[in-house]
Amino acid sequence: MRVKLTDLVGLTKVQDPKEIKDALLKTLELIGFKPEKHVKTVVIKPNLCYYWKSSTGYTTDPQLVGGIIDVLREMYNKNLDIKIAEADATAMKTKYAFKMLDYEKLSKEKDVELFNLSEDILEDKEVQVNNRKIKFKIPQILLNADLFINVPKLKVMRITTITCAFKNMFGATGYPRKIKYHPFLNEAIVGINKILRPNLTIVDGLVALGRFPVKMGLILASTDSFSVDWVAAQIMGYNPSRIKFLKIAVEENLGNPQNIEIVGESIKTFRKEFPRPSRFSKLLWSFQLSMLKLYVKVTGDLVPSFLEEA
Amino acid sequence: MKLRVGVIGLGRMGRLHLMNSLRIDDVYVVAVADKSKSALKRAKSLGVQKLFLDYQKLLNDCHDLDAVLISLPNFLHFPSIQLALESGVNVFIEKPLATTSKECLEIMKKVKASGRKLMVGHCMRFLTVVERMKTVLSKGSIGKLEVITIEEILNGPFAHGVIPKPIPEWWFNPQKTGGGALIDLGYHWIDIFRYFTESRKARVLFSHLDYRLNLPIEDGAIVILKSLENLVTGIIHVGWYQKSIFPRYNFRLVLHGDAGYMSSEELIPKNMYLHAIKEGMKNLLRKTIRKKIHPLSYTYYYEAYYNELEHFFSCIKNDLEPSVSAIDGLRTIEIIEEVYKRSTRTSNGTK
Repeated sequence: MRVKLTDLVGLTKVQDPKEIKDALLKTLELIGFKPEKHVKTVVIKPNLCYYWKSSTGYTTDPQLVGGIIDVLREMYNKNLDIKIAEADATAMKTKYAFKMLDYEKLSKEKDVELFNLSEDILEDKEVQVNNRKIKFKIPQILLNADLFINVPKLKVMRITTITCAFKNMFGATGYPRKIKYHPFLNEAIVGINKILRPNLTIVDGLVALGRFPVKMGLILASTDSFSVDWVAAQIMGYNPSRIKFLKIAVEENLGNPQNIEIVGESIKTFRKEFPRPSRFSKLLWSFQLSMLKLYVKVTGDLVPSFLEEA
Repeated sequence: MKLRVGVIGLGRMGRLHLMNSLRIDDVYVVAVADKSKSALKRAKSLGVQKLFLDYQKLLNDCHDLDAVLISLPNFLHFPSIQLALESGVNVFIEKPLATTSKECLEIMKKVKASGRKLMVGHCMRFLTVVERMKTVLSKGSIGKLEVITIEEILNGPFAHGVIPKPIPEWWFNPQKTGGGALIDLGYHWIDIFRYFTESRKARVLFSHLDYRLNLPIEDGAIVILKSLENLVTGIIHVGWYQKSIFPRYNFRLVLHGDAGYMSSEELIPKNMYLHAIKEGMKNLLRKTIRKKIHPLSYTYYYEAYYNELEHFFSCIKNDLEPSVSAIDGLRTIEIIEEVYKRSTRTSNGTK
């Protein structure tokens, strides 16, 4: 068995959506991704966390997924069985996300199947992270696909600071009410990545989300999810060793920052464009919510439903 | 004497109406009805005694009610209003009055025959900024009103709270909603156009519906109206297509007269956080000196929901006609129907 010494992370700049396919081919070449003969079934998992289009920075651009499909058919063969898969979430139903985010259109154009992971046969799996046992319901298709491609979005998130490759695997679990994991979300993110190991991760940084969405034109790829997130954190202006789930991932031997090698464009090219939220925005939000709770408790005033926490 | 009230439907709006009712003087919420057991459990924790999974059972079993507040999905407005009026109670119905003008006309007949009061939840009329603009307009400060432009673009049913919650299935079904952004948001602003022009009827000069979200219901609408009595033009643009998070609110109402103009942007607090702090402090002071607080005033917009209910209950107590009646619901729905008729899409969303 060949021992992997470095985890290559490729960065490519895309100026125009028409260049997506060429940029993908270039990025895959940079990281030395080679097609394997046995591959007949492919599952692509974008991030369709809610009904907000890719231009908002929240969800994966169908143009990028379309480009990946074209590249795969060129690399392998035209008869490859390709599925685009997403699971229901607490507030999102896959059937509507596929429709509203233009994936139904893409599926017709590229003749690929759309697959709801929550409707698959779900296997119960248990992992231990930080001495906590966590149970997941894993869609069988993700465990059996010959080639599993993770296509996350590059964005910030209040609870976990950043969300990219690791967090998108959390979204692949079959149980819709994922909010139940939120009290120990960092551990859950690491836990799911102990079970699901995509063969390839291609990050959609065409429009990234910081304080606001920004057209960055970034495609980032690697065969190692941990390395993707480590580099993604740096692009977003964070010190990855201070991101809690990445710290836990290192402790759980899911990756080694020392093995990462960046190829293609430099991190700096993209970092200067990323609108990182202020260090205080998370604190400010928590402060506002606690002040509101205190005010309501004292005065007996009401809280509109969108601000309710239970 | 306290008014005895039933709350039907405990979704996003129903819950707000329940909470508001619990804080209005001389109102006693006797019963609630909702299909969700957890919503009923929550109502119980707030002190509501009678809980029903079926609104029909609430209306059949609670004979001593003075009024019901209905916040059911749009397609249930018509049957629930009918049943409530037959049960002899006054009705507050969340907008729209019903999904078709035919149903609205039926409701009007029923209201007349029952001798009860019906108020439609046209809450925007109770928005402080709208009330202020109406007052200024009536004093003639901008001369003769010529054009009204109104814009409201947000997330509609896709709004995301602190805790994400699934969107009820009926929102995606045009047969159950009666339409999309136009009947949801446009409904309010067509009513406000009628309110400012004091016009009984209006004509649709132009309309355009958008389907960016690939749903069978429109996610955006642009409508140009002309009031028939005083020939005021209204330009209304509403949409569900924008990700927006409170307190940011993409809303503008501009009145253009021949002697000047007035914009809601000049009257709405510039900084909602400062407004919340200011109003919060005022309420804390009121609480300290044992005066009644002004519920939801810190949110600016949500205060309108409290005010409209207070108005409804006061109309029942004092035997007055509510300022928004079934005719307002009917006239608004007539305009919406006209826009849908002009659309190239059918009711199931196909071209």
